[in-house]
Amino acid sequence: MSVLGECLLAFIFGSCVGVLVQRSRFCNAAALRDAMLFKSFRNTKALLVAMMILTVGFTSFMSIGQGHPMNFDVGLNQMIGLFIFGIGMVLAGACTVSTWVKAGEGNVGAMWALLFTFIGMFLFSLLWSINYWPPAPASMTGEPNLEALQFGFSNAATLQEKFKIPALGFGLIQVAVLYAIYRAILKKENSVNKVVSVPSKTEKELV
Amino acid sequence: MEFFKKTLDPTVALIAIAILDIFLFVAIGAWTVGGGETMMTGLAAKAVLGDKIDNIPFWHLVFPPSWGYWKIYISLGMLFGAFVSAVLSKEFYLRIPKRLSEWVMITIGGLLMGFGIRLAFVCNVSTFFGLTPQMNMGGYLAITGIIAGAWVGSAIYKRILEV
Repeated sequence: MSVLGECLLAFIFGSCVGVLVQRSRFCNAAALRDAMLFKSFRNTKALLVAMMILTVGFTSFMSIGQGHPMNFDVGLNQMIGLFIFGIGMVLAGACTVSTWVKAGEGNVGAMWALLFTFIGMFLFSLLWSINYWPPAPASMTGEPNLEALQFGFSNAATLQEKFKIPALGFGLIQVAVLYAIYRAILKKENSVNKVVSVPSKTEKELV
Repeated sequence: MEFFKKTLDPTVALIAIAILDIFLFVAIGAWTVGGGETMMTGLAAKAVLGDKIDNIPFWHLVFPPSWGYWKIYISLGMLFGAFVSAVLSKEFYLRIPKRLSEWVMITIGGLLMGFGIRLAFVCNVSTFFGLTPQMNMGGYLAITGIIAGAWVGSAIYKRILEV
């Protein structure tokens, strides 16, 4: 696809997402924070459902060698980076998606968060230019590089190659795990509802 | 239009996004936000610093600034889509944080998000809507990190709320 075509497609996709997220108030930060702080799972359930659909979709296409999976070595920097990100998103009260969506709704706080996300990225670029860690994509080999805390590259397609089982097979195992988490949340919600409804019943009896 | 009058169930919205994301994955690549934001940072830095940006190796070894990077337009699309949707549903108005503590939290939070994304090479969107559904090892590492981070962040947030 031409560069212009790619950019246009990305813009159309982004616009659809912008409308859907604006109407639903979905937020990734809320999906994790509300589950932990308020035992509210509205966003968490939506996230799990999307991940189940995506796992089936992506691994199906990867089984037949289609699609554009992300291809770079991973390592401890993913864990540490997202740990720092996780603290930041709860403090800022928004994830990368909701900062753009809220900025579009006229939320000045979200615009401010975006500005400082850019500044944070720029500060990182200065630090990287001193220690060159994590390794630049050009120096990645796909093999573990423990000295640089890199574990190499592995996804559903490499599993398929290694075990001669279609990527979708592994995908379905992941869907089963995600579904088990989803079920556990539904169960928890039901038990929370019961706890709430019991005192109101006794109140009625008292009246 | 009815669609712009009531709140959409997030599960319905995310099912639609997931289906669109599968199309995008087949055409160019899965939904991501952090990459586009980094490229915008690079373009902004180049506009401000000019040729001096060549003194920072990151911007030629990892992210050479370029306007032809499709990930930028996902972010701009989200901004545009949300703006149109907010106007149509009469929800567009300037919201300005009132308390100083909010400004401080947003500033620190934003900095940590930007720094974390670059350290990890991925943002939360790539983690949940890209890497993990591709069963990339990095997805599981990133999810472990973001859950631990959200837990620590929630503990700090709770403290601040209680004060």
